[in-house]
Formats: sequence, C-alpha cells, structure tokens
Amino acid sequence: MPKSKAVKRSQPRERFSYDPTKVLSKLEEYGRRVLEDIKSGKNPYFDIPMRGLSNVYFDEKRRVIKMGDKLSRRYFLNVAHARKFMQTLLIMAYVKRLVSEGKHASLREAYYANKHTIPGTKENTFEDQRESDPIIEDLERMLGVLREEMHLTADRRGYIYGDIVIRDGEDEFNTSKLGMGGWAVPGTVEHLQFVEVNVDYALVVETAAMADRLIEEKFPKKENALIIATQGQASRGVRRLIHRLHYEEGLPIIVFTDGDPYGWYIYSTIKQGSINLAYLSEKLATPEAKFVGMTMDDIERYGLKNVTEKLKGIPPNKKGGPTGDYKRIIEEMNYPWFQNKEWQRQLQLALKMGVRIEQQALANKSLEFVAKKYLPEKINNGELLP
Amino acid sequence: MAEASQLFKEFKIQSVSEFFRRNAAMLGYTGKIRSLTTVVHEAVTNSLDACEEAGILPYVRVEIEELGREHYKVIVEDNGPGIPEKFITHVFGKMLAGTKAHRNIQSRGQQGIGISGAVMFAQITSGKATRVITSTGGDIIEAWVKIDVDKNEGKIVKKEKHPNPKGWRGTRIELEVKNVRYVRSKQGVYWYLKLTAIANPHAHIELIEPDGKLIVFPRSSEEVPKPPVEMKPHPRGVLTDDVYRMAKKTRRNTVRRFLIGEFSRISDKKVDELIKYIAALRLIKTEKDKAVQDQLYERLMNGEVDKVLRSFKGYTKVVKQVAKLMEKPPEKLSWHEAEEIVEAFKYMKFLAPPTHGLRPIGEENIEKGLKGILKPEFVTAVTRPPKVYSGGIPFQVEVGLAYGGEIGSGFDLLRYANRVPLLFDAGSCVTTLAARSIDWKRYKVDDLERAPIVLMINVISVHVPYTGTGKQSIANVDEIHNEIRLAIMDAARRLQTYLSGKHRRLYQVKRKKTFEKYVPEIAKALSILTGEPEEEIKNYFLRFIEERFAQSEVEAEEVAENA
Repeated sequence: MPKSKAVKRSQPRERFSYDPTKVLSKLEEYGRRVLEDIKSGKNPYFDIPMRGLSNVYFDEKRRVIKMGDKLSRRYFLNVAHARKFMQTLLIMAYVKRLVSEGKHASLREAYYANKHTIPGTKENTFEDQRESDPIIEDLERMLGVLREEMHLTADRRGYIYGDIVIRDGEDEFNTSKLGMGGWAVPGTVEHLQFVEVNVDYALVVETAAMADRLIEEKFPKKENALIIATQGQASRGVRRLIHRLHYEEGLPIIVFTDGDPYGWYIYSTIKQGSINLAYLSEKLATPEAKFVGMTMDDIERYGLKNVTEKLKGIPPNKKGGPTGDYKRIIEEMNYPWFQNKEWQRQLQLALKMGVRIEQQALANKSLEFVAKKYLPEKINNGELLP
Repeated sequence: MAEASQLFKEFKIQSVSEFFRRNAAMLGYTGKIRSLTTVVHEAVTNSLDACEEAGILPYVRVEIEELGREHYKVIVEDNGPGIPEKFITHVFGKMLAGTKAHRNIQSRGQQGIGISGAVMFAQITSGKATRVITSTGGDIIEAWVKIDVDKNEGKIVKKEKHPNPKGWRGTRIELEVKNVRYVRSKQGVYWYLKLTAIANPHAHIELIEPDGKLIVFPRSSEEVPKPPVEMKPHPRGVLTDDVYRMAKKTRRNTVRRFLIGEFSRISDKKVDELIKYIAALRLIKTEKDKAVQDQLYERLMNGEVDKVLRSFKGYTKVVKQVAKLMEKPPEKLSWHEAEEIVEAFKYMKFLAPPTHGLRPIGEENIEKGLKGILKPEFVTAVTRPPKVYSGGIPFQVEVGLAYGGEIGSGFDLLRYANRVPLLFDAGSCVTTLAARSIDWKRYKVDDLERAPIVLMINVISVHVPYTGTGKQSIANVDEIHNEIRLAIMDAARRLQTYLSGKHRRLYQVKRKKTFEKYVPEIAKALSILTGEPEEEIKNYFLRFIEERFAQSEVEAEEVAENA
C-alpha cells in the first residue's frame, strides 16, 4: 500500500465539551426568569427561535445551514400559548431531573413520563408524542443545547468499525475488536470519550451491506480507516459522532453513498446540516467532508453501464416534468453548497443519462473490487468531490 | 202547511239577557276551565278599572273555594271606590250598561256585559245569587243580586246595611259557580292573574287557591295609570249607522256643527270640502258610461274633486243643494244622506286620528312588571308610537321581552289587548303570527323553542279587531302585524346586544379557567426548576391571572359603552 495518502488527519479544533452542569444552570436560569416575571406582575414568556424554511439560511463563511434569528414568543397568558407554555416547563423540569440524576430517557419515555391528567379536568398534559417531541426541539433551540445533552435520546441507528478506543461510561473498548458487526452508535454520543484513535480517516457508508462488505474484505485494517455505517439517512447520533471525530480528532471524513439523489442528499446533510435541525448545524454538520462516490463518472470509468437503473419520474424536458428523481436532482443543483463545477457536472450528467447507480453495483466487477480497487484508488489519489 | 198564525203562537220577544243566557259561549263561558277564568277576569277587570278611574293603587284579592265537585265559590275583593247603593242592580244585573260602553274610549272590558254575565253564569249553574259587599266610605252594603232574565234587570234578593267604623271602602263579590274546574294550566285562573299582574305592575294581586295556598303578585310600580280619555270618532272609522244615530242624539242645531263638533279632525273647511265631494259623487252617479264612471271615481280618489265637478254641466247647482243639506237640523238627516256623508269620507283625506285616548302601559312599567313577576336576568320593552289601521282607527303596540333568570327554557308568548291577557285562540292571533315571522337567529337566539324567553305583546286600541265573539284573538290586520314586528325586532336587537355581551363575559370566564387549570402543573415544574415552594408559586400565578382579568373586565365594559 502506498504510504503517500491524499487524506491526512489534521489537528483537533474542538475539545470534548460535554458538561451537564451547563444544561442544569440554563434550565434554572429560565425557571427563575419566569418566576421573577410573574412576581412583578409581568406576563411570563419564552422566546423560541422559529422553525421552518423561513428561518434558515446558508452561512457562506462556515458553509453550513444555519438558523435565522426569528423568534416566536410563547406567553403564559395567551389562550393559544398557555398549554404549550405549561408543557415547556414540564419538560424542562423533567430534563433537570434526568440530567441531575445522570439518567437517559428516550423521546417516548419522556412523553409517557410527563403524560398525566391535569387535576380537576379531563385534559392530559400531553395527548400524543407529537406534542412532546416538538417541545423538546423547542428546548434545544431555546437553550442552545442538544437533546442528547438533555439526556433525551432517539432510536439508535448506524454502527462503526475500526481501530479506535472509546470510553463509554465505565466501559472502554476498541471498535475493531467487537466482532464483524462493529459497535452500534447510541442515541447520545455526548459523553463518549475517544481514548485512542489509530485511523487515518473515517469512511461514512450509506448502506449496511456495503459496510459489511468492506469489513469482510478487511478494508479498515488495510487502509487504516474507520467505517461508519449510517444505514440510510444519518441519525443525529451518527452525525454528531462524525462531527466530533472530525473536529476533536482531526479525522478526515469521506462519504460513500449510492449515486442517486437520495445518496447525494445524505451527503449534503452530513456536510451542511439540514433545514429541520438547522439550529444544530454547528454541532452536527461537517462542512469539510468529502464525497468519494458513487459518481456519474464512475459508470464510464469502470464500465458499469449495464448495472445502472433508470431514474424515476418524468425528465424536465418532457411534458409534466420534472418529477420524482429528476425533480430532486434539480433541487439539489440549486443548493448553495453544490454551486461548484464538479457537482454541477455530476448532477447535469445524471439528468442527461437518466440513470442512478448503487454502491452494490460495484459487485458486478467482483466482491473485492470495491475494497481493493475502487476505494483505495480514488481516496489515495484524492479523486474526491468537494 | 202550517198557518202563519199557528207558527207565530210561539213567537216571543227575547231579552238581551235571555239571548246571552242561551249563548253564554259568546261571553267566554265555554269549557270548565275557561268559564272559571272568565268569571275571575270580569271581576278583576272591573276592580282594576274602578281603581284606576278613582286614582287608587289597586289591591285585588281573589279567592277560589272548592265547595264540591266542579263547584266553587269565587271571591274577588278590591280597595276600589265602591259602588253607590242605587247602582248595584245596574252594575250586576243589567247587561249592556256601564260607564264606558257608550263612549268612544279604550277599555279593558266589553260592552258592559262583563260582570253581569258572570252573575248570570253563577245564577244558571248554581242557582245562587251573587253576594256583593261594598262601601263608598259610608255604611257597608251587603246585597244578594240576581238577574231577572225576562226583564233584563237586576234584582236584589236580600239587602243588609252594616256600620263601617273603620271607613272601609271597596267591593267584594262572591259568586257560586258550578260546572267549572280549577286547574293550574295556561288557561286557568293562576296563569290569568300572573299575566294580569305583569301588564298591571301598579296592582297588587293575591290569589288563594282551593287548597289554601296563597300566591302574591306584588306591586312593582307605585304609579296609577291615568284613566283613558274619551275620543271623538274619526270620520274614516264610522259607519252610516253611527252617523245616523249620532245625528239623532246630538244637541247641535245644524249638520255642519254636528260634524265639526262630534267628530275628530273635521273643521269648517273640511265640511266645505265634504260638500264638494258629495256633489261630485252625486254627479258621477248620473254618468251612464261605466268606464267613464270608474275613471271619475279614480280621479276623485286622487283628490281632483274640482276638476271632476267642472266636467259636469251645471255642477254649481248640485253643490248648492248639498250645501243646504249642511245647514239643516241634524235630526232631520236622512239615512241616505248619512250614507252619502260616509261614502264621501272614504274619498277624503283627514289627519290621522288623535291618540291621546290610548293608554299604553309604558316601557318602564312593562319592564317593572316583567321583572317583578318573572325575575328574568334581562328585560326590555318597546312602546311604538300610535298608528292607524283601516284608515281611521288608532292603535298602538307594545312589546316586552324577558330573558333568562328564573324563566325556564321554552318560548312563551303573553298576549294582551288593552292590558287584558288573551288566553285562548293563540294560533290565529296576529301577535302569534308576527312573533313567529321574526328570524330569531339574527338576534343570537338560535333555538327559539328552547330559549328562556318570554315575549309580551299588548295591542291597544279603542277598537281592537278581534276575530270572534270570544275576544281572545286579534285579527291579522297588516298595519298591526307590521307594528308588532317592528316592536319585536327593536326589543330583539337589545336582547342581541345583551347576549353578545354575555357571551363575551362567558368567554372571559372560560379563558380564565383555561389559565387557572394549568397553574398547578406550572407551579410544580417551576418549583423543581427554581427550588421555591410550589404553593407560593401557585399563588403568584393565580393572583396574576386575577389582576389581569379584573383589568380586562374594565376594558371590555368601556368598549361596550363606547359602541
């Protein structure tokens, strides 16, 4: 294996920052403010940054999707707000208990724990998890802390495999010594500490099938890489883990997805963040991530034409178009972070060829092809998309 | 075939009393419940009228004593002026006699057959004389009165005089009636008196029911209504017979003076005009061509009397003839001439009749009456200005509307004519028709049948156009219908304003509760977050809500006043 690699680890830029007392003091500060307002005869309120497309923008300098400064004020003495005001305080008190007791709860547990009938009425504090989830999101934006920092977790998805040593609570382990399945990424990665990182870069893989293939082919060992399987759209835990590995450990991030609009969107989310979680971009996004494949060029270059699939929907030049995949490609072409020659060329090519190509299509060459030739060649030569 | 002389063997002159004895239904004596109500009605009406004319605040006590099966004694006592001894037989025994029947005046009663009808009814059902105890301040007279049906005359069966050391004044009558029944229904005595009390807030009315229960409808106004004044008939409202008979009786010495003196709205100038109209009518009648005739009648209706006259040759002669008629003594006026005068009246224009004879209850007193008896949460009343129907009969409409409070759900319509409650034949009555024609939804009353609303309607007139002899239903006269509608809509608008305000207040209460119900939850959470005691936090919040709502209440009321 050539030692002169195009991707190199760089210096760490962020430090391990998990600090539960920060969350607690913020919660207490907000509680005190409400209490002071009511004591002095003022209508207490919370200022919550607004969600939605109207309040996000692309920060050109930091190259991430960020939340605007539009606020919505939630008053206690307002018929339309009172219930949510109560719910916000309820969750805040719950979070305080969770964090101070060092326990974690899932979103569903948080919902059930706080759901009860309000005395003297037939009304419940929460009728549905669809009421509690947005309150938790509101708190993240309002307090500027992650849900994970509030010890509220979502379902876990994704796993990692590679020569790094992680301390998770009382356990310490090397993620390449846990069997072929690697280590499942938990909902909350805040408290994880990276004891040893003996890899040169992290390869983020869209499908579990491809990640399994690479592990079986011993790609992580040979290439000194960490495999991170997202299993579709990357979960918050995985995105946060990628962010932390990049900023705290200086690991280059290379993303390997299908060559289709969905795969490119997964890349886009890891890189720039998402509209939904724009307020967390600073903590979740990794703008310096690079893209290894699949690209439209790969079809020609590796002779994969016969294993492509047709794009779904109506092309833009046809009547009724564009729809389906074509429509999404055109949307992506308009993303500010895809405003560069390379990406525009890829997306144009996709529209022109009208095909998509999956990671697994590389198996058409041979099972080892992806691990022995495709990835090492492209990564070590630096043939990556920005 | 029978001979005429045979047939006429059975011929007999029937007295008025005899007629009504046989046709008691015409006086309201039909049905066991209604008959009892009618007896009470006649007595109470007389008491109220007497008190009013004497300027006394009425105190009327009605007692119904059960003597046997469908057999009762009705006692009605008042604090009125009393009846002079020599008039007792006339008041109670003679039909078509009274202080008002012969005058053009608004009255509660009928044509003077009211109480004598009751005496008659008592007599023909129980055979008993009516006991009358009365005093005008001197001795107390106790008399038993019967009616001599054949002679249409009252006769006193027995009479006693008692000293009156305490100076009592008033009248108490006791009638024994059979074939009647006391029921607390909407057509019974209780309901009748309740309605009477509402329309006569100046009266204190008491009822002792057969089971001994005392019900009091207290006085809610200290003001005795002014008695109605007599009004001269308006030319548009008279019939040929009226003119003919009035002419026979008048003390004036020419037809012209008679017309000016005994009718309202007729002046010297109007008589001159009348001459021309009569002349024109005479001339038109000479025209042979029917089409031309119709045309001339139409022009006359349009007031072109001079032009119509000039279209006839030698019209001045006819005018002179008619003018002579006006100067002859009225008792010489022929039926035909009276007919001509009345016909000419139809074509002429007159000022609307004077309305000073009408005596509405008045908005304030209606409100007092409804408030005092029904105890509603909202009440309003509308008295419309007087209007005229049939071209010459003045009338006036009043409406009272009570809502909520002790009024149960279900719409109730209380109908009155000259303050007298109408309990029967509601269906075809103009009041019912008008009330039903209102689109109540427009006034925030979504379901009238279930709304806690009592609507009272009083139609006042010298001549209320009843539909039948029972005088329980007012004919659907357009002008009256219209006035009732306008009055109801006016009252309903005020109800609407009240209801919107009420809804707003209810909404405020609901709002307040919304906030209050979350306070315990909020206090618990804030206590966890800040460490302060839950109870204290709860109090802060509750006090805050209280203050804010006290403020908004003031604001809301200011808005309502400005609106």
